[in-house]
Amino acid sequence: MIVIDKLCYQSGLRYVNASEKFLYAVLTLAMCIISRSILTAAAVFSVNVFLTVTKGGTPFGRYLKLLLVPAAFLLMSTAVLVINISGTPLDAFAVPLGKCYLTGSVSSVKEGLTLCGKAFGAVSCLYFLSLTTVMTDILGVMKKLHVPGLVIELMMLIYRFIFLLMETASAITVSQNSRLGNKDYRTRIRSFGSMGSALLVRSIKRSSVLYNAMEARCYDGEIRVLSEERPAKWKEILCIAGYECILLGTVIWSWL
Amino acid sequence: MKEKDWAVEAEQVSYTYEGNDKKALDSVSLKIDRGRKIAFMGGNGSGKSTLFLCMNGILKPQKGRMLIGGKPVEYTRRGLLDVRRKVGIVFQEPDNQLFSASVYQEISFGIMNLGVEEEQVRREVEQVISEMGITPFRDQPAHALSGGQKKLVAVADILVMHPEVLVLDEPAAALDPKHRKLVRSIVERLSEKEGLTILMATHDVDYAYAWADEIVLMHEGKVLMRGTPDEVCGDEDAMEQANLELPAVMRLYRRLLKAGILSAKGDSPRTLEDLERRISE
Repeated sequence: MIVIDKLCYQSGLRYVNASEKFLYAVLTLAMCIISRSILTAAAVFSVNVFLTVTKGGTPFGRYLKLLLVPAAFLLMSTAVLVINISGTPLDAFAVPLGKCYLTGSVSSVKEGLTLCGKAFGAVSCLYFLSLTTVMTDILGVMKKLHVPGLVIELMMLIYRFIFLLMETASAITVSQNSRLGNKDYRTRIRSFGSMGSALLVRSIKRSSVLYNAMEARCYDGEIRVLSEERPAKWKEILCIAGYECILLGTVIWSWL
Repeated sequence: MKEKDWAVEAEQVSYTYEGNDKKALDSVSLKIDRGRKIAFMGGNGSGKSTLFLCMNGILKPQKGRMLIGGKPVEYTRRGLLDVRRKVGIVFQEPDNQLFSASVYQEISFGIMNLGVEEEQVRREVEQVISEMGITPFRDQPAHALSGGQKKLVAVADILVMHPEVLVLDEPAAALDPKHRKLVRSIVERLSEKEGLTILMATHDVDYAYAWADEIVLMHEGKVLMRGTPDEVCGDEDAMEQANLELPAVMRLYRRLLKAGILSAKGDSPRTLEDLERRISE
């Protein structure tokens, strides 16, 4: 999570208008999912990798590592779709296993591959958004989409304070380690528990101080802030529109 | 005759926190003139922060009353809005004050709450960002800023609201020398150019002695002493009661007078530089 946060603050596409990026990611995601063809997914995936890695400057190695996380889940669930255990061998492949076969049909293999491809395409859309758009910008877009203020305010505060929480937790852990607080299993469990309670107490104290500080600036129950907006560029909008049209073409073709 | 309208006035203010027997403020009376630089000194728990929170209407005194700009604080929505516009507090720990990860959003919060037009808010935010030297890190998230940078944002948070009274709760605590100097030069500029009334809590005796027009010494919820830096720091008993040491420059100066190396003419030096000049004369 921290890696993604750091990367998106350094991304070359960070200052592109957030609504554009959001719209691009969501539209492409939708196309990728409704299409029946793996071609759409392949196009979506490669364009997203190009945008995120080449344009955005996210290191390719990092990107691959990030992809590994969902890949584990994806491959397992695809395997479930493709591989059957049956008494009779099916047409794609069959591995004898005692009396029965580990086997799959051509159609299920095709289906599995398409599904896997679609999922990777969809993941690449979300990675595009999260690796090029900082959280505060995404919140700005959500505000424009009339997401309830409470949700946005909560996300904003959580995003700010999760880093403080982690900082405090790691400081406590370091100080526990330096006093042999993790020397064996028992002490480790105890140290972890006391860290949890210390964090809770500190968070409650901190929240009341924060509330005072916000009240001191005339807080009245609603967080009103302005965000910086980067102007949308016609060229970029046209590119996105053109690309989505092409994708739509492949989607319609896949449905025919 | 019309009463003078003081910037901040406390009349017999008492406050006790819930679940505490000891009074955090014990009938404190204080009048602060406009445009002054006042240092508040005293140990932890001496009531400085509580007094500051009363000035801003965050805490309502259980006894006595606060007056801001000659008007008693009204604890209604409008009254509080008015008081909080006039009195801005920069809290000691910037991590407890900054609530947004975005510097721009953070600074726009206070002034938006005053109901200022969006266009003007943007202008003011831009202005304070460039004045405070925040531009180099304005696009960084709050969790990537250093302590000193966060402090600058915390001060900008308040300045953008154009307060008449600026309250700083230990502004130099936990800052490196470079940022301490920077924050202090900003404070200096605000008081000289903008004529703000500045109240500052600090533990740094040397700095308070050099900077302040007046020092308020607090102890156990009461004002122990108030006066010019020379009066307050010269009173060894009061300083000792507040667990404070004498300013280094004062100790040295007294010693030099005693030893007959310097003669006591003119004002006593407030900073080491002053003292050096006197010696070289």
